[in-house]
Amino acid sequence: MKRTKTADLILIYSVLTFIGIIMIYPLLWMISATFKTNSEVTSGLSLLIKEPVPDGYLALVNNYGGNINCIKALFNTYVYLVPKVIFTLISSLFTAYGFARYNFPMKKLLFGLLISSMFLPDAVMIIPQFILFSKLGMVDSPLYTALVVPSVFAYDTYFVFLLVQFLKGVPSELDDAARIDGCSSFQILFHIIAPVLKPALVSCAVFQFIWTSNDFMGPLLYVNTPSAYPLQVYIRLAMDAESGFQYNRVLASALLAVIPSLIVFFCSQRSFTDSITSGAVKG
Amino acid sequence: MKTHLLRIAALASAVLLTASAVSCTGKENTQKKISLSWWGGESRHEATMNAVKAFEEKHEDIKLDVKFGAWDGWEDAMTAAFYAGTQTDIVQINWNWLDVFNSNGNLFLDLNTVSDHLDLSGYSQAELDPCTFDGALEAVPVSLTGRIFYWNRTIFEKAGLDVPSSLKDLFTAGEVFRKKLGEDCYPLALAEYDRMMLMVYYLGAQYGKPWIRNGRLNYTRDEIRKGVEFIDSLEKGHVIPSIAEISGDGSVTFDRSPKWMNGKYAGIFEWDSAASKYSNALEGNGDFVVGDYFSDFGRYKGGYSKISLAFAVSKKTEHPEECAEFLDFILNDPEGTALMGVERGIPISRNAVKSCEAAGMLKGIEKEANDKVLAGTSFSFDIKFEDPKLKTSPEGIYFDAFSGLSYGEYSAEKAAEIISDGVRKVLGETGK
Repeated sequence: MKRTKTADLILIYSVLTFIGIIMIYPLLWMISATFKTNSEVTSGLSLLIKEPVPDGYLALVNNYGGNINCIKALFNTYVYLVPKVIFTLISSLFTAYGFARYNFPMKKLLFGLLISSMFLPDAVMIIPQFILFSKLGMVDSPLYTALVVPSVFAYDTYFVFLLVQFLKGVPSELDDAARIDGCSSFQILFHIIAPVLKPALVSCAVFQFIWTSNDFMGPLLYVNTPSAYPLQVYIRLAMDAESGFQYNRVLASALLAVIPSLIVFFCSQRSFTDSITSGAVKG
Repeated sequence: MKTHLLRIAALASAVLLTASAVSCTGKENTQKKISLSWWGGESRHEATMNAVKAFEEKHEDIKLDVKFGAWDGWEDAMTAAFYAGTQTDIVQINWNWLDVFNSNGNLFLDLNTVSDHLDLSGYSQAELDPCTFDGALEAVPVSLTGRIFYWNRTIFEKAGLDVPSSLKDLFTAGEVFRKKLGEDCYPLALAEYDRMMLMVYYLGAQYGKPWIRNGRLNYTRDEIRKGVEFIDSLEKGHVIPSIAEISGDGSVTFDRSPKWMNGKYAGIFEWDSAASKYSNALEGNGDFVVGDYFSDFGRYKGGYSKISLAFAVSKKTEHPEECAEFLDFILNDPEGTALMGVERGIPISRNAVKSCEAAGMLKGIEKEANDKVLAGTSFSFDIKFEDPKLKTSPEGIYFDAFSGLSYGEYSAEKAAEIISDGVRKVLGETGK
């Protein structure tokens, strides 16, 4: 009996390890490719490096036209990314709370409108939004207002939808009990609802973090000063179609870009998986 | 706690106030600010920034704000800027933007109005004509470019051949490559758009007339079919790989293709300005040479050239004269042109050529390719040739016709019909 249990364990772990290696291989390859030359990068999928070159990393501190290097670009990214994530959480929580707990005229219509905007492709929005923001003087603002302000108004409706769905699973008796104890609406939101929604909020934060770190078009449109370029635009600077590019350099800066996302994901992993599974047991 | 917060707030506002006070004094008030944007690679950024700095040192009353990036996504960003009217004062443009974004002519300044500040004597009228619309010079061209063959001579030598100098050589090379180097080795590689280019060059050499004349397609469907059949014969003769095979390589362009780097593809038909990109991609593993136009292509000299890029000044600028001053600096001034160098191709402006020559910049493979292109050219591309409806990948007409042909979905007849109808539609021709 015991032996079969150990055998099972070995089997399970070897399958898991095998799949795990397949999953993590691209990341490992990326790390090894940062030390490879162009011809070696394109010649195969091996992790072994024939002639390691440090050029990719050395180029990270090179200034483009004396304006921007990788480290500065990374810093620029966080200048707008962190407020954007925080504002998204607050604004989405407020909006979701309103829709899930209160009744007001045309609630269904408004919610329908909100959800339908989720299906608008980004490409349709680019030009009208750009014209609006440039009329408001938000293009190329040193505080990245064009990138941050939409998140103050729960622009990413996906998160509102996600939170509303979660809130539906939170019994309204909790609110009632708190109200009897003398809580105001805001107190209910912050002391009762928000803690219960923590897993959902964490996943919103993680998603917004990753989406924003991957967004290329936004910063390209709204940031015009090279010294304020975030990492996404910076990486493309090194990838010019006309003059060719060094893979190791692009991959080294991409690696630098990925590390914070990985750290955020690992730190929030428990809450994140909670939020995915918590919907599963609802009856 | 509260006092602490108050203190921080006070400190912050003090800092902000001082900062704004500082920025209000000094030169800022008298300086005229103009903005400049361009796309390109690292060396172009560096050269242009050096020119900008040198210009600012010479003209202390003018300050330049720059915006630069890589080509990817740049056209989209500029589209939005043109629509919103937030483009920079001086814009580096693709020549066909004059058509695509500027069809009503109120986007760019007529540079004739600032001719006191911008010397155009380095250009011939014929060179300025492609940028002139209704008498208004909307941009100054920087360089001319055209397509030419490049060969990896090492691979040809491996097959016991010299690089092809005629069509006959090329077809022979196709067979020899198949036998000696293997099924996956080809003397030339052409993606869809390259095929269209080569076809137009071939037809030019065959018939001696430009592709588009006076805004009308200058070739009959039958003539185009002949060109399409020529491209098809290249694929059948193992001269070029099929589109399926190229797609399978998984690279956007050949300079990123492992098959080009490893010598499986021994030739390309590319812009003269792209030489170093393809040469660098070989990383010293091949002898990269510029080819010649084939003597047996046809009776005529069939080459085309076009303006690779140009500088335009936005009509919205508050300082048109200062913008013209800067353009004059980078297009004519000995110091400015030497700093800009050949980063945007071999310059057209005679004044720039002179100073680049003096600085020893006019040498190497790009100069050789440019000379050959200009010598082999008798036509210039029409501005509609690169219309997005025709050129974009993968939904453009050229892509549809040549990938359909290669995949066997279209006959040569059908592909010729698609090209002919598509081009006529873009040109706004009615009837067939």
